[in-house]
Amino acid sequence: MAKKVLVVDDEQDIRIFITTLLETNGYKPIPAEDGREGLELARSRKPALIIMDIMMPRESGIYMYREVKKDPGLKDVPVIMVSALSKKTFFHSQKVLDEYEGDKVPEPTAYIEKPPEADELLDAVRSAIG
Amino acid sequence: MGDKVLLVDDEEGIRKVLGISLADAGYDVMTAGSGEEALNIFRNESPSIVLTDIKMPGMDGIVLLRKIKEEKPDTEVIMITGHGDLELAIKSLQFEAADFVTKPIHDEALAIALKRVHERIWMKAKLREYTEGLEQLVLEKTQKLIEAERLAAIGQTVATLAHAIKNIIGGLKGGMYVLEKGMELHNTQYQGQGWEMLKSNVEKIKNLALDLLNYAKDREPDYRLCDPCEPLQEVFHLVQPRCRESGVSLEMECSAGLQPILLDPDGIHCCLLNLASNALDACRDFEPAGTPPGIVLRCLHVHGWGVEYQVADNGCGMDEETRSRIFRTFFSTKGTKGTGLGLMITQKIVREHGGVIEMETKQGKGSTFFIRLPDRRRLDASRTA
Repeated sequence: MAKKVLVVDDEQDIRIFITTLLETNGYKPIPAEDGREGLELARSRKPALIIMDIMMPRESGIYMYREVKKDPGLKDVPVIMVSALSKKTFFHSQKVLDEYEGDKVPEPTAYIEKPPEADELLDAVRSAIG
Repeated sequence: MGDKVLLVDDEEGIRKVLGISLADAGYDVMTAGSGEEALNIFRNESPSIVLTDIKMPGMDGIVLLRKIKEEKPDTEVIMITGHGDLELAIKSLQFEAADFVTKPIHDEALAIALKRVHERIWMKAKLREYTEGLEQLVLEKTQKLIEAERLAAIGQTVATLAHAIKNIIGGLKGGMYVLEKGMELHNTQYQGQGWEMLKSNVEKIKNLALDLLNYAKDREPDYRLCDPCEPLQEVFHLVQPRCRESGVSLEMECSAGLQPILLDPDGIHCCLLNLASNALDACRDFEPAGTPPGIVLRCLHVHGWGVEYQVADNGCGMDEETRSRIFRTFFSTKGTKGTGLGLMITQKIVREHGGVIEMETKQGKGSTFFIRLPDRRRLDASRTA
């Protein structure tokens, strides 16, 4: 059975691109439009991998990522970040939040800056879940 | 040749004695027997120092002093006073005489007065030099600062632009990938999706380029005397099909009897189209409670202005933060769909007309934009603004 991959991005173009990329390479994508919907689907559909954006309306990716990593049922699901935010800025924001909340949230499995390249993203998916 | 000194006294004896003594001290001496004569010589010769008796028939020393100070404030004037003229002497100081000497004149007292006058002249010259130097310095530094600020603004602009373009490239590349997969796998759904992505992103980059051009273009507004309703009617017909498509009603109200005013029809057309497009966007993704979504365009006469345009919608409205930022470059609530330049351009054009743009908005209730343009009927009046 095809492995389920949750794709969370508010931009329709990116969602279509990533879901097509996954579908045509033997995965089963589950699209979501924002952090809130993403978190709900992550909990109900138990995906093998989460690919997510950071800057989204309603629940942002930063919040969703930390919720995922603190959820005992989800914390072992690998996460690939795909964002226009530079890698440096994201890791800095996580460090600040770690200090603020007093617990260490692990780093995402991969971090890809937008616009994502098909090969780069596919390599990251394969090395995360095969 | 020494400094020019004008010596004014109605007594010939004093003119002679004092004249010799000043010439001995190295001055280029001119003499006058009355205030009137002195003023004539002063206007022709521009001496740097004037030595004048206070009490003279006709124009006295005080009047002469005031006229000289009025015409050339840098001239140093020394008053010659008799015994008991102390009050006059003090009065002359109030009118900015440099000093006074009393009759009978001692050479030594005169020399001291002249020396002090020289110091004053020298100091004034130095002061002017420093002030001018300082002004020059301020000018240079200011120019450097403006340059630095401009560079910073350009940097900011370029970064924002690069971000917007990167986003569009993402969409284009994504579209290419989806379309290619569709062709490879003969999947018409992928083909359709990919092609739509390509089209919408080409549209986005076109809009970005057009907005940028509109904003950067410093074109001279082409003011013409025209019916202010005209640009609004054009925009009404232009936006109507898009409104119908989105199920948004569009109405127009034009006050009767509006006088033609000077405006740049293309510029105002651009402003009204921007506002109407924004109004449509505000209605599109929002369902007002009870009332169907709608936009009203108005063209009214208000006291003190040539025309007031209103673009009112009952769409989503704005919150406090949005309201405070709408006229800034690159601020957009439309995500990757907006360029964040529309309202900047609108504001720029309205200001060029000497007009104002204002807005009332309530979150969840809609927004109304007002553009008021001044009542200008002649071309020269518009140029001075």
